[in-house]
Amino acid sequence: MKYIYSILILSVFLFTSCNQTKSNEKSEEKKIKVGVTMLSMQNEFIVNISDEMNKKAEELGVELITVDAEHQPLKQIEQVESFIAQKVDVIIMNPCEVEASSPAVTKALAAKIPIINVNSATSTKPTAFVGSNDVESGRIAMKFIADKLGGKGNIVMIHGFMGQAAQIQREQGAKEILKEFPNLKLIAHQTGEWDRAKSMDLMQNWIQSYGKDINAVFAQNDEMGLGALKALQDTGLKDKVIVVSIDAIADALQAVKKGTLDATVFQNAKQQGAGAIEVAVKIATGQSYEKEVMIPFMLVTKENIGRFLK
Amino acid sequence: MQYINRLRQYGIFVVFIIICLILSLISPQFLTVSNWTIIITQASINALLAFGVTFVIITGGIDLSLGSMVAVTGVTAAMLAHPDTFPVALPIFAGLLAGLLMGVFNGFIITKSKIAPFIVTLGTMTIGRGLALILSKGRPISNLSDSFNFIGGGNIFGIPFPIIVLILVFIICSIILKKTLLGRYIYAIGGNEQASRASGINVNRVKMAVYSISGLLAGLAGILLTSRITTGQPNAGAGFELDAIAAAVIGGTSTSGGTGTMTGTLIGVLLIGVINNGLDLLNVTSYYQQVVMGTIIIGAVVLDSWNQKNN
Amino acid sequence: MPSNPKNILHVQNLSKAFFGVKALNNLQFELQKGEVHALMGENGAGKSTFMKILMGLLIPDSGDIIFEGESLKNSNVHENLQKGISMIHQEILIVPELTVAQNIFLGREINYRNWLNDKAINQNAQELLNLIGVNINARTKIKNLSIAEMQMVEIAKAISTNAKVIIMDEPTSALSNKEVSTLFKIIKDLKAKGVSIIYISHKMDEIYEISDRITVLRDGKYIATKNTSELDKNDLIALMVGREIDRLFPENISKKGEEVFSVENLSTKGKFEEINFEVHAGEVLGIAGLMGAGRTEIARAIFGLDKYDSGEITLKGNKINIKSPKEAIEKGIGYVSEDRKVLGFIPAMSINENISLSSLANFSNAWFVNSTDEQEATTQLSNDLKIKSTSINQKVMNLSGGNQQKVVIGKVLLTSPSLVILDEPTRGIDIGAKFEIYKLINQLTDKGIAVIMISSELPEILGMSDRILVLSKGKQTALLSKQEATQERIMHYAVS
Repeated sequence: MKYIYSILILSVFLFTSCNQTKSNEKSEEKKIKVGVTMLSMQNEFIVNISDEMNKKAEELGVELITVDAEHQPLKQIEQVESFIAQKVDVIIMNPCEVEASSPAVTKALAAKIPIINVNSATSTKPTAFVGSNDVESGRIAMKFIADKLGGKGNIVMIHGFMGQAAQIQREQGAKEILKEFPNLKLIAHQTGEWDRAKSMDLMQNWIQSYGKDINAVFAQNDEMGLGALKALQDTGLKDKVIVVSIDAIADALQAVKKGTLDATVFQNAKQQGAGAIEVAVKIATGQSYEKEVMIPFMLVTKENIGRFLK
Repeated sequence: MQYINRLRQYGIFVVFIIICLILSLISPQFLTVSNWTIIITQASINALLAFGVTFVIITGGIDLSLGSMVAVTGVTAAMLAHPDTFPVALPIFAGLLAGLLMGVFNGFIITKSKIAPFIVTLGTMTIGRGLALILSKGRPISNLSDSFNFIGGGNIFGIPFPIIVLILVFIICSIILKKTLLGRYIYAIGGNEQASRASGINVNRVKMAVYSISGLLAGLAGILLTSRITTGQPNAGAGFELDAIAAAVIGGTSTSGGTGTMTGTLIGVLLIGVINNGLDLLNVTSYYQQVVMGTIIIGAVVLDSWNQKNN
Repeated sequence: MPSNPKNILHVQNLSKAFFGVKALNNLQFELQKGEVHALMGENGAGKSTFMKILMGLLIPDSGDIIFEGESLKNSNVHENLQKGISMIHQEILIVPELTVAQNIFLGREINYRNWLNDKAINQNAQELLNLIGVNINARTKIKNLSIAEMQMVEIAKAISTNAKVIIMDEPTSALSNKEVSTLFKIIKDLKAKGVSIIYISHKMDEIYEISDRITVLRDGKYIATKNTSELDKNDLIALMVGREIDRLFPENISKKGEEVFSVENLSTKGKFEEINFEVHAGEVLGIAGLMGAGRTEIARAIFGLDKYDSGEITLKGNKINIKSPKEAIEKGIGYVSEDRKVLGFIPAMSINENISLSSLANFSNAWFVNSTDEQEATTQLSNDLKIKSTSINQKVMNLSGGNQQKVVIGKVLLTSPSLVILDEPTRGIDIGAKFEIYKLINQLTDKGIAVIMISSELPEILGMSDRILVLSKGKQTALLSKQEATQERIMHYAVS
C-alpha cells in the first residue's frame, strides 16, 4: 500500500509541475479554464443551459470542461474534486441537491477556487449564484390560473419527484397564491415524477373521480403538463379545463401556440447559461461581480408566444 | 398438492376480487365501464412486458433490460414517425425489429457465455439506456404522425387500440405456452434444465427464443408508449422491468422457474393497475401507494415460497 | 449388547429410512479407544448413512449413539465436532479460496474479542502440518494444492480439533503410494495417542495393513465384527455379498440377435481408458465396478452428455459421433440416469408431459402439440409400466421413487430406442418396484432392444446380465459370461 501511495503522490506532483511549466510558457495568451458539472444531460432544459454556456464560452474565448453528474450528488462532488486537482480557474456547478451537493462548494472554496451555482441553489453559499427563484415560477403559474378562473374554482396539482428542490419550491410558490384566494380549492395533488406517461395515467384517474369538477391543472413541469393535457384531450374535456406548467420546453411552446396548453412559465436557459459564463470571466479576471444574479421568469401564453419561438 | 397449487392461483384471484370490491364500496367511480377502460389501457404496456418476462422467468431466467428496450424501441419508432415522411408501417416495423435484436443479443450472450441472465440483462439495461440517449441526442422526439399516434390513443368500435393489442398478445402468448412444443420446453427447462438437455431438448435454442420474444414484446410496448404520449423519450420506461417482474410473480410465476401461467400474469398486471387507479381515485398520497404496492409484492412472494416449501 | 468400558463409542439399534426405503436397519457398532476399525460393505450397504448420523448431519429414526457415556442422538455437527468426532470426507469439503491455515481453523478462528489473530492462526496451522510431516505452507490457498495435499489438510484439521474419533471415508482414493504410507504413519501415531479411527475403504490390502477389527454391513444391517487377523479375504467377501440370489430376478429367455452397438478403445483422460465391448439385440450387458470406476462416465460419453477423447462408437453397423443427447436420442440411444432427480425427470411436470418430453416432436405438427395423440400414447405406456398414480396429469414430484423411475424409463421407451443404457436402475426404490423394473428389462430385450445395465448391486448384475463387463479405476479388467461370473470373481476384478 505504501508503495502505491508514493506512486500516486509522485504522479500528482509530476502532473502539476508539468502543468505549471506549460502555463508559464503560454502565460500571455492564457485562456480562462472553467470546469462545469451539470445535474443531468438527460434533461432537456439542463442541456439547453449547457448549450448556452458553450456558445458564450466560445464567444469570450473561455475553455470549458463540461461533465454530467447523472443526478448523483456524490458523483458531482468527485467531479468538483477533480476540477480542483486540475486547478481550473473557476468551477460552475448545476447542483443535484440542496444539501448533498454542498460539500462540493465547501471543498472548492477551501481550495481557493471560485465556484458559481447555476440554475439551483445549495445550502452552503457559493462565490456567486446565477439562476432563478423557483418559488417565483410557482407563483406565476398559479397566479395565471387564479386570474383565468376569477379567483374561484377547483384545482389539481401534479408534483415532480417529491423532495427535490424544484418540487418543493414550485409547490411553495403555488400555495402562497392559493392562500390569497380562499375560493380556489386544491382538490387533489399527486406526484407524476416529472414523467409524461405517469401524469397522463394520473390525470385519467382523476377525471374518473372528479370528472367535470376540475377547473384547472397545475403541473410542475411541461412534460407532466403535456401528459395531463393528452388525457384531457382524449376525454374531450380540454375546453373546460385550464392547464399550466413550467419550463417552456419546445413541445410545450408548440402546444401553447396551438392553444391547447394555456400557459407555461419560461425559465431563461440562455440568460442562465450565458450569465454564469459572464460572471465566471469577471471573477477570473478580477473584475467586480454580483453575488446573486436573478434571472426573472416569464409567463408564456398564446399572446406572447411569438417572442419565444425561434 | 395439485389442490394447493390451484388454490394459490385462485388465491391471487380472490385477493384481486376482494380489492376490487373494497374499492367499489369506497369509490363510486371505480366500478364503471369508463374507469375499467382506463385501468386496462394503462395496464397494457406493463402487460406486454409482463407477458414477455413470464416466458423468461418460467425458464428460470430474468430480463432486467425491459425498460431500456422500451426506450430504445420508442425512440427508434419516433424517429421514423414524423408526419409526411414514411408510411406508419415503417416505424412500427423498426421499433419491433430493434426490440427483437436486443432480445436476440440478450439470448446470444446468455447461451454462449453461460453468464447469469441477471448480470447479462443488467448490462444490456445500461447499454440500452445509452443507445436511447445517443439515438435521440438526449431530447424527446415529438411531432409524430396522426396515424402513428392512433396506436396508443385510437379506438376501434369504441375500444381503445391498446386494449385490443393486449387481448391479442395475451391470447397468442397463452397459446404458445400451453399448446406448442416451445411452451412445453419452456416449462421443462425451468423445471430441470439438466434433465431437459438429457431428454434431447435444445436448451440454448429455447432460451434464445424466450429472450427474443421478451425483446419483441418490449418493442411493441415501446411503440405503444411512444404513441400514447405522442413523443419518443430516451428516459422512458425506467423501472418498467420491475413492475413487469412483479406482475409475473404476483400472478404465481416462480422466480426459480418451471411454473407460471399467462392468466396469472394477467391478473398480476390488473392487480397492480387496479391498485394504482384505486389509490389515485381515493387521492392517497403517493408515499403510501408505494408502501401498499411493496406489501402486495412481498405477500405474493411469501405465498410462493410457502407453496414451494409445502411441495 | 453389554457395554465394554474400553468402548469410546457404542451404537445401539440404529435405524434410518429415506422415503420408505430402509438405509439402516437396527445397526449395532462398537468402537474401542485407540483402535483402527474398518467398516466394510457393498455400495449402498449403509456406510455413508451411518457416518452422516455419527457426524450429526442426519438424525436417526430410532436407536441411540453413546459417546463417552453421553447420547449423541439429537446433536448437530457443531456439537459433535466439539465433543471430538471428526470426519475426513470422500468429497473434500474445504473452501478453495481460503488459505490452508484459514481452512484448518474455519469456524474456530483464534481471536481476541472478535478480532482475528492471523499470526497465531498461521503459526499453529504450520506447527500442525509439520507435526504430521507434510511439507505444505500454511499460507497457500487451498485451490493451489493437489488433491492429496488437500486430504492432508483435512487430517491436520481433524487433529487440531483434538478429535477422539476420526472417520476416514476412502482417504486414499486420490493418494499415491508414497502418500499412502505417510498417511498410514500418521494413523499409527494417532492410534498411539489413543485416537480411534473408523476406516472406510474398498481396498482390501489397505484394510489388512492398517485395521485392527472389521465390521461388515449389508443392506443397512449389521452382519459381523471380527478381528482382522482372524478373518481371511474370501470370508470377508462372502460376508459382504452374503445373500443368496433368490427368485427376485425373473428369467430372461429372450433371443440374442445381431450386434447392435459397440465401442472400440473408448477413452477420456482421467475417467476411463481403452474400453471395448459390444451389445447384441435382446442382450443385457452388465457393467460392474466400484464407485469411481468410470461406469457412469462411459454412459455419459456414449449418450453425448460429455465429450470423449478418443475411440469409436458403432451403432447398427454405422460409425457415429454423438455431440449431444438430442443426437443420441435421434439415433436411437436411450439413457436412464443414476441420478433421476437431476437428469431424469421434471418434478413440476405431469407424468404425461414427462413421458412425452423426448418424443414430443412426434406428437406435433410444426408448432402445436397434438395432445390427444400425446395422451393416448402416454396413457398406454403408463398402463404398460404399471405406474401407480391418481391420473396421468399427476405431477411426477408426488410419485414414489419406483414410479418416478418408471416414468423416466417410459420417456426413453417412447423414443423407440435400439439401445437403452440403465444406470443404477433400482437405486433407492423398494423391493416390489425393483422386481417390476427387472421384468421391464426383460420386456425390453424381448422386443430386441440391446440393454446396458450399470449397477453397484452384485446380485442384480448377476441376476440380470447375459455378460458382465468389470471396471476398476477406469480400466476394463474383465468381460465375463453369465456362466463364469460369481460375486467373488466380480469383486476380485473390481478391486484389482
